[in-house]
Amino acid sequence: MKEDMVKLISAEGFEFVIDKKAAMVSQTIRNMLTSPGSFAETEHGEVTFPEISTTILEKICQYFYWSLQYASSMVRSWVCSPMIISSSFLEAIEWEGD
Amino acid sequence: MGGACSRKQDQQDNEDDLHRRVSGRYFKSGSSKWLRTSFSRASTDISQGIGSCPSLMELCISRIREDINKYSTFSMLPRDISQQIFDDLVCSQCLSDYILEAFRDCALQDINLGEYPGFNDSWMDVISSQGSSLLSVDLSGSDVTDSGLINLKDCRNLQALNFNYCDQISDQGLKQISGLSNLTTISFRKNNLITDQGMRYLSGLTNLVKLDLERCPKIHGGLVHLEGLSKIESLNVNCCNCITDADMKAVSGLRSLKSLQIASSKVTDNGVTFLKALHKLTLLNMEGCRVTAACLESLSVLGALLYLNLSRCNLTNDGSDKFSKLQSLKVLNLGFNDISDAILVHLKGLTNLESLNLDSCRISDEGMINLAGLHRLKSLVLSDTGVGSGGLHHLSGLVNLESLNLSFTDVTDGGLRKLSGLSSLKSLNLDARQITDIGLAALTTFKNLRSLEICGGGLTDAGVRNIKDLTSLTLLSLSQNHHLTDKCLKSISGLTQLVSLNIANSRITRAGLQHLKPLKNLKSLTLESCKVTADDMKKLQSTDLPNLVSFRPE
Repeated sequence: MKEDMVKLISAEGFEFVIDKKAAMVSQTIRNMLTSPGSFAETEHGEVTFPEISTTILEKICQYFYWSLQYASSMVRSWVCSPMIISSSFLEAIEWEGD
Repeated sequence: MGGACSRKQDQQDNEDDLHRRVSGRYFKSGSSKWLRTSFSRASTDISQGIGSCPSLMELCISRIREDINKYSTFSMLPRDISQQIFDDLVCSQCLSDYILEAFRDCALQDINLGEYPGFNDSWMDVISSQGSSLLSVDLSGSDVTDSGLINLKDCRNLQALNFNYCDQISDQGLKQISGLSNLTTISFRKNNLITDQGMRYLSGLTNLVKLDLERCPKIHGGLVHLEGLSKIESLNVNCCNCITDADMKAVSGLRSLKSLQIASSKVTDNGVTFLKALHKLTLLNMEGCRVTAACLESLSVLGALLYLNLSRCNLTNDGSDKFSKLQSLKVLNLGFNDISDAILVHLKGLTNLESLNLDSCRISDEGMINLAGLHRLKSLVLSDTGVGSGGLHHLSGLVNLESLNLSFTDVTDGGLRKLSGLSSLKSLNLDARQITDIGLAALTTFKNLRSLEICGGGLTDAGVRNIKDLTSLTLLSLSQNHHLTDKCLKSISGLTQLVSLNIANSRITRAGLQHLKPLKNLKSLTLESCKVTADDMKKLQSTDLPNLVSFRPE
C-alpha cells in the first residue's frame, strides 16, 4: 500500500483504493488512521466496513473527492442517491464535512 | 457531529427579555420575520457560508427534502435522522398535512413549529404519536385548540411546552396538561383566556422550574396555586397589569425562586416587602412599576441579587441613598427615571457592577466622576443624558468596558480621544450630531470593535477610511450621513466579517454595490433612500451575497 493511499473495504469485500487525503474527510477514518498505536488499521492502511454495502461505499468515496474539490473550485451541485439514506449506513458512520 | 447527533437544547428566552421578541403575527414585513426565524432555527441548509463544505448528512437531508413526496414513512430511520429531516422541512417551510404523516410514530423528541404558517389542529394527532419520546413542543403563534391538547396526555415525558400567542388555549387547555408531571418549562405568553381558575391545574406539576405568563390579563389571584411547586426558579408575569401586592404574598412562598419578572404590574413598595423571604433571588425586573426608593429597604436583604431593573419607575432622588446597600448587584437598569447626578454618588460603592443603564436620566459630566471606580463595568448606557466630552474623561480608566452607548448626547470628537485606551470596546453607539471624521480617527485603536453606529450626519468618505482596518466589525451603521458616496464602500469592502450593514440616506448608488461583493457574511443590508433600487439589491443577493436574508429597499 503506497504511503498516500488507503484501502476501504465494503461488506461484500470490494476494495476501494483512494487517496489518504480523501479518506481523511471522515473524522472517524482520520482517527483510525492517525491515532498512535490503537488501531491495526494504522499499520496496513486498510479499513473494513462490514455494515456498509459496496454501492454506498462507492458513493461515500465520491463524496470525499467532491468535498476536497469544494473548497478549491466553485463546484456546488452534487447529486446524491437516495439509497444513501438506508438506515444501516446512517447508523454505522459519523461524518465530518470539513 | 454525525448521524448520532446529541439533542441540542434550544436556548430559551433571555431571562431579562430586553429584546422583547414579538410574535410573527404582529410583524408587517415578511422579510423581517424571515430574518428572525432564520436566526433562531438551526438549519441544515446547504448554503451555510463560503468555506464550510456541507456534510454528507446535510446533502442527504437536502436531497430527501427535494424528493419528499416519495417517502410515506420515516419510522424505520433512527430517531436522530428523522428528527433532522423534520427540522429541515420546518425550516424550509415544506412541511404539509400530507408530508407530516410520514413522521407518525417516529419517536421524535422535539417538535418546533413556532410561528409555522401551515400548522393546523389536526396535526396534533401525529405530534402526539411520538408518545413517550416527545420532550418538547413549540406551537407558539398557532391556532392550536384546547381539544388539540387532549392527546398530549400520551406524551408522559414532556418537559417543555411553548404555547405563546396561542389565542385558542384557555383554562380547559391547562386541564389537559395538568397530568404531565415531568414538565419543567411552560410558556403561555399573551393569553387572554387563562384565568386564576385555570392555574389550579398547574398545582400538580411538581417538577416545574420555569413558568412564563407574560401579558396574561386575567391571572390575578392565580399565583396562589403555585405554592406547592418547590422547584420553581423562574416566574415571568411581565405586563400583567392585573398582578397586585396581594399576588406578591403568594410569591413569597416560592423559596426556590431565582428570577422574578413583574414589569408593568400594579405592585408597589408594599408588595415588594413580601419578596424579602426570597433569599435565592438573583434577578428582579420591576420596570414600569409604581415603586419608590423605599422598596430598596426590602431588597437590601437579598444578598444574592445580581440583576435589578427599575427603569421607567418614575424614581426620584429621594431615598436613593439606599442604593448603596445593594452590594451584590452586577446589572442595574435605572433608565427613564427622574433622577440626576445626586444618585450616582450612592452607586459609587457598587464595585461589582458590570452593567449600568442611565438612559434618559438627568445625568451630566459632574456625575460621571462617581463611575470612575467601577472597574468591572462592561456595559454602560448614557444615551439621551446630559453627558458630554468632559464626562468621558472619567471613563478612561474603565478598562473592562465592552459596550458604550453615547447616542443623543453632547459628546464631540475631542471626547472620543479620551476613550482611546479602552481597547476592549466591542460595541460603540455614537449616534450623536457632533461626531465628525476627526472622531473616527480616534477609533483606530479599537481593534476588538464588533458593533459601531454613527448616524449623526457629520461623516465623509475620508473619515470612513479610518475604520477600514476594524476587521472584527459585524455590525456597522452609518445611516443618515448624507455626505457619504460610493467611495466609502471601498473602505468597507475589507470588513468581511460584517453581518449587518446600514448606510441608508446617503449618496450611495448602484455603481458602488460592486464593493460589497467580498462581504460574504452579510445577512442584512439597508440602503434605503439611496440611489439603489430593489432590483439592484435582488441582483446583488443572487449573484454575490447568497447569505443576504434581509435587505432594503425590497
